[in-house]
Amino acid sequence: MLDEESKANLRNIVGPEWFLDSPEDIATYSYDAFLPEFVPDGVVVPDSAQEISQIMTLANEKKINIVPRGAGTNISGTAVARRRGVIMAFHRMNKILEIDVDNMCAVVQPGVVNADLQREVAKHGLMYPPDPASMFVSTIGGNVALNAGGPRGAKYGVTRDYLLGLEVVLPTGEIIRTGGKTLKNVTGYDLTRLFCGSEGTLGIITEIIVRLIPQPPAKATLQAVFSDLDDAAKTVSAIVASGIVPTTLELIDRVILDIIRDYGGAGFPSEAEALLLIEVDGETSAVEEQGRRIERFCKERGAIEVERAKDPQEAEKLWHARRTAFGAVASVRPNCIVEDATVPVKHLPAMIRKIVELAEKYQLKIGVLAHAGDGNLHPLIMTDIRDRAEMERVDKALDEMYEVALSMGGTLSGEHGIGIAKDRFITKELSPKAIEVMRGIKRVFDPNNILNPGSFL
Amino acid sequence: MGIDWDRIEREFYQCNKCGLCLAACPVGKELLLEKYTPRGKIQLARFSRNGNLEISERLRDIFTECLLCGACTVTCPSGVSLTDLFVAMREVLTSTTGLPPNMKPAVEAIGESHNISNEDNSERDEWAEDLEELYNEVSGKDQAEVVYFVGCVASFFPMVQYIPQNVIKILDAAEVDFAVLGGKEWCCGFPLIGAGAPGDLTVVKEHNLDMVRSLGAKSVVFSCPSCYRTWREHYGPEFSLFHITEFIADLLEHGRLKLGGVEETVATYHDPCDLGRHGGVYDAPRKILQAIPGIVLKEMENNRARSTCCGGGGNLEMTDPALSRRITKKKIEETQATGADTLVTACQQCVRTIKGAVRREKINLNVFDITETVARALQV
Repeated sequence: MLDEESKANLRNIVGPEWFLDSPEDIATYSYDAFLPEFVPDGVVVPDSAQEISQIMTLANEKKINIVPRGAGTNISGTAVARRRGVIMAFHRMNKILEIDVDNMCAVVQPGVVNADLQREVAKHGLMYPPDPASMFVSTIGGNVALNAGGPRGAKYGVTRDYLLGLEVVLPTGEIIRTGGKTLKNVTGYDLTRLFCGSEGTLGIITEIIVRLIPQPPAKATLQAVFSDLDDAAKTVSAIVASGIVPTTLELIDRVILDIIRDYGGAGFPSEAEALLLIEVDGETSAVEEQGRRIERFCKERGAIEVERAKDPQEAEKLWHARRTAFGAVASVRPNCIVEDATVPVKHLPAMIRKIVELAEKYQLKIGVLAHAGDGNLHPLIMTDIRDRAEMERVDKALDEMYEVALSMGGTLSGEHGIGIAKDRFITKELSPKAIEVMRGIKRVFDPNNILNPGSFL
Repeated sequence: MGIDWDRIEREFYQCNKCGLCLAACPVGKELLLEKYTPRGKIQLARFSRNGNLEISERLRDIFTECLLCGACTVTCPSGVSLTDLFVAMREVLTSTTGLPPNMKPAVEAIGESHNISNEDNSERDEWAEDLEELYNEVSGKDQAEVVYFVGCVASFFPMVQYIPQNVIKILDAAEVDFAVLGGKEWCCGFPLIGAGAPGDLTVVKEHNLDMVRSLGAKSVVFSCPSCYRTWREHYGPEFSLFHITEFIADLLEHGRLKLGGVEETVATYHDPCDLGRHGGVYDAPRKILQAIPGIVLKEMENNRARSTCCGGGGNLEMTDPALSRRITKKKIEETQATGADTLVTACQQCVRTIKGAVRREKINLNVFDITETVARALQV
């Protein structure tokens, strides 16, 4: 428990209105977008790295657990106080400090919302590519902590690929800087990328330098419907093999297509077994040509319907099914578990088949969305966490799903993180030695294990 | 009415905690803390229902920090009716802890004087002083096809009294057989719902329905989107109900109203929450504006279902005026980003909120209710 003296100290550091421990406040920082909830002892909302440094010094001395939390949109349970303690929220550290057009980078505080950064840099003709589905809400700090990806990942990569430097407050209170504004930097270990994806276990990120790239001038958007999943998979392979690197190569399976149809989202032929949404960007002439080639690939491989958008309005229409998908699925049952087991691209169809099989075996409703370009699957498990018997079946299905994904050379998580969602599976993917190394790293940064304890390690 | 707990539970168990509503909520963006966000309030509702959180004045005050604008509801991928949940929670909280202090005068005024301003209700017609002849005609009728329901704000607040003046001129120009109720009109009850005291709605509803019946009318037309919404949602299906923008658009379509041009203006249209998101009326006002030569319509970044509240919704102006003003400021910035010199809306409350801020801050922006635009273009 957090004693009164520590509470007084925290109030002293951030000001009385930014340390919160009312029942309403701790109730509303007890969750993120994953399932289990843990009511914390308090919530602290600092305004600067200096304040955070004081907080961590105090926390380290008094052994107070601290759990950093961005917008709480993660779906792996990385921003909840599993072993009690204090949630650290970054609402006040939400400023874009600099957009450096000459050096093609931006310096931001951790609480900046991803979409806000994208909007601001677009005014300079620039782009920040990582685009997680939560981008209108989720923060850059949270994106870095979880190495967030997104549909554009197959072409542009993920958060890690756009990180140049960080300012970090260590669990022991010291402030360090990593990297800088240069694209190249090989001085010492790459701590910048070590913090990225560390799920709030190594340090508190207080400033982030992100790399920006020029906005591509043109885009082509296509949608193809297949009556056989294999045809869709062959089309994906053909596109990838042709040297075209689409920004988007999204696959929607039959279960979800049926739900979207019932939801009134869009109509598809009744025999539709898979839909591909494909987008390429780049120079106008290249994009034109690539669009035509992709259309041909789809038709040659048995697509029963292919549409190529003529203008941005038509492109938006084609995106409609994909954008409606999550909402349609989420409204089927009270809870929707968004999985992200990921396999090497060529195993994607086999993995989808396995998921269909598991849904039948365990009598579950599971649909599949996939970033087909990079093998990142999103099985959507429609369930109700109040139904214990069903949740046991969900667990069994997940167990098997991970076994299969790993046996194909895949990973437990492509882009959502381990957190408390998959920590019990981590030994299936990582060897004891690898885990020992990670724990050693954790100890170097956080000798008293006060930063997000009880998370994946 | 009774509190529908089944409904409340269904809504909060449907929440996936994804947080997408945070991007839509003007209050959450200002107050930052999770308890003020739609997702936070859903959790608070669940915690209190499950006995993990006491019903308290503090909890009530959190739920009053909401515009009931519905932006969260249209954003929610899981289809949670957040606004309904928040209205129901206000009822739970008010019935246990009493009215929010700043809402008390308005609620009591509705009971005692039948209007929100606690004025003598017979003075409801003070807006008509300059239109005595026409007003006497339409208020003295004992039979009419259509009743124009003026609403409290447009009746009593000088800044927007031009709205009913325009409405009766427009209806007269189109030779509509209409009447107004004058002192016999009572508050529709809308503020009671937001105050968590919907039980008192029955009395005002029965009275207003009787008054319209007594004129043998078939339709009721409203310039206030909130009165319109309250009638649609709570008054039953007895009469055909129209917002004035729908009514005017229909008159134009049937050639019963002729509009000329106005001075060249770049205008943007603000969708009032109760007319757009809660009433589904998006096209009629735009059709009207497009029918007036001289007006160039430029849409705001967030328009139609994604329109941002002006700051005047959910009784927030009464319960937390400072917060309401911060939200209004953002609305004005969004308006200015369009390059428009004029903001047109179709709600006296939005006009009051935005025009009040424009005057206070000395901002160069014209703010009109759409009836003013139409009245100026009238060809009589």
